[in-house]
Amino acid sequence: MWKSFCILFKKDCQMMIAGKFFLVAVGSLLIYTLFINFGYINFMNMQLYNVYLYDPQGTQQEVSERICPVSSLEELETVLLADTNGVGIDLSSGTPNIILYYGSKKVDKHRADYASLLLYSSDKYTAQIVGTNTTKLKQQKEMSCELLFIEIVAVGFLGIASVLFKEKQMGVIRVHAVLPLKKSLFILSKLAVFLVSDLVFAVLLTLLNVGFFDTIHILPAVLVQTAILSLIMALMGFGCTMLLNDFKQFSLAYLIIALFVATPIFLSANTSIKMAWIDWHPFYQVYMGLKNAYFGVPVTSPVYYICSACGIAVLFVIVQIAFHKEMGKEG
Amino acid sequence: MIEVKNLTFSYGKDKQVLHSLNFVVGDGEIFGFLGPNGSGKSTTQKILTGILKGHGGTVSLFGQDISMVHTQDFFQKIGVLFEFPYLYANLSAIDNLKYFSSFYPAKQLRDIGEVLEELEFKSDFLKKPVSSYSKGMRQRVSMARALISNPQLLFLDEPTSGLDPTGAVLFRKIIEEERRKGTTVFLTTHNMLDADLLCDRVAFITNGNIVALDTPKRLKEQNSRRRVVVSYLYQGRREEKTIEIPELEAGIPFLHDEILSIHSEEPTLEDMFIQYTGRGLS
Repeated sequence: MWKSFCILFKKDCQMMIAGKFFLVAVGSLLIYTLFINFGYINFMNMQLYNVYLYDPQGTQQEVSERICPVSSLEELETVLLADTNGVGIDLSSGTPNIILYYGSKKVDKHRADYASLLLYSSDKYTAQIVGTNTTKLKQQKEMSCELLFIEIVAVGFLGIASVLFKEKQMGVIRVHAVLPLKKSLFILSKLAVFLVSDLVFAVLLTLLNVGFFDTIHILPAVLVQTAILSLIMALMGFGCTMLLNDFKQFSLAYLIIALFVATPIFLSANTSIKMAWIDWHPFYQVYMGLKNAYFGVPVTSPVYYICSACGIAVLFVIVQIAFHKEMGKEG
Repeated sequence: MIEVKNLTFSYGKDKQVLHSLNFVVGDGEIFGFLGPNGSGKSTTQKILTGILKGHGGTVSLFGQDISMVHTQDFFQKIGVLFEFPYLYANLSAIDNLKYFSSFYPAKQLRDIGEVLEELEFKSDFLKKPVSSYSKGMRQRVSMARALISNPQLLFLDEPTSGLDPTGAVLFRKIIEEERRKGTTVFLTTHNMLDADLLCDRVAFITNGNIVALDTPKRLKEQNSRRRVVVSYLYQGRREEKTIEIPELEAGIPFLHDEILSIHSEEPTLEDMFIQYTGRGLS
């Protein structure tokens, strides 16, 4: 059995090399690393909104360096017309009146809060600092986590589909039905190839973007979450490939999965938008598990691991049924 | 080697495709399983090769019930040639054969080079990817894959499909060679010439029922019209007459100067196929 598994594993690696999968993964790794270190960090260091203050009575003796004073209400309106993301504070009446060019309800509150914070930062507001991550490291971990999640959900999922659709079109899956090997090994070798590939990717991405010493601390937990996500996505990719006729149908399924898996998760995890049902979204739990692992807080709940194991087991059974069905199909 | 009793199979609740099939294939026999498209040939072969499960009736292979023999030992004893040449297109003939043969015990394997040589595979293509091969060359590699493990039971589905006449003759020679070695062959085909030349017995299947089973010779004899058509020259004119075979016993019963040809009106296996299955070959 072990010998058969090794033969299948070797052949799957050859197929992935021939399909340039590893080349794509290395390319992604380079692009992600460049983006995190030269794009995202610099972009995130930019000032969020310009804050303009009109204070004719001079009530504020010490104002933040990030506030731009203006000399008249007309000037305030003029700069807000030009800088539509800016926030104006009119202190002519003695109490701050926040002026915005436009915005949605939630964003208005954020911008208003930010402007108020700058206005009163010296005396009224003192933020409590938790954790030891610097702003840069926090951003690096945050983006590494998101990109690793995207890589596995999108690229890994497409990767297994591209390899399997080739085998399906060549008809060789049917040949395996009459070879002296346990049929489940065919599925297991594919899972193993993608699991190893995703784990190596996670190690390299974390090392390159989080740094050696921080990586050592968080790596075991990150790898556990990567393994869970990788197995789920590889099984979903395998199942979709067996059940769908061609890559066109698969692309549609992929769009739906990307839409329903990634969008609500990123919205819920990274913005102020909260969906009541998001806690029931299995990928949200996995994503948060991965994010917490990056921030040194690994998931300890046994319920999470039991649910993950059950989910993987159920997917494996479905994939086995679909695989046997495919082997029995006409040419 | 193969014993099938009351074999039934349904896809879903209402779609019964096999209705109580009964046949026996002896050791070293070449058994032809002939039928039109959708008649149940492939389903039967899939049941016999262990791909499809959930059949009714009993099926025994190698003296054991099929549900008990679908182990790795069983798959080591069989070789299967599919209707289409299923190969890894990015690998060469040698790499494909190395890969597929690596699942078998080394002691039962034939030499890859020797098998390909027997199949008259062009040596300059040995290391080129299968994607650059013609259909005939792919079929040769597929046949090599089926033969490489020295199977005791060989399932062949349309073996000469995609081959030129020389290739078809070569394949028939190889199948004959397998018979001489004692290999049992279960042959599924539309090619009545292959069936006629190779098979010890043939079964005609239509709509999931076996409608005739016998040697090709007896099937033809049973349905012979027992007459001959004689072409001859008489007083400088070419003529043709159909006469019953008993009339021939006393010699040619009409005046003639020269006999040009005598054709028996014996039906071909293709005529038998159409007669029994009610459909022409597609």
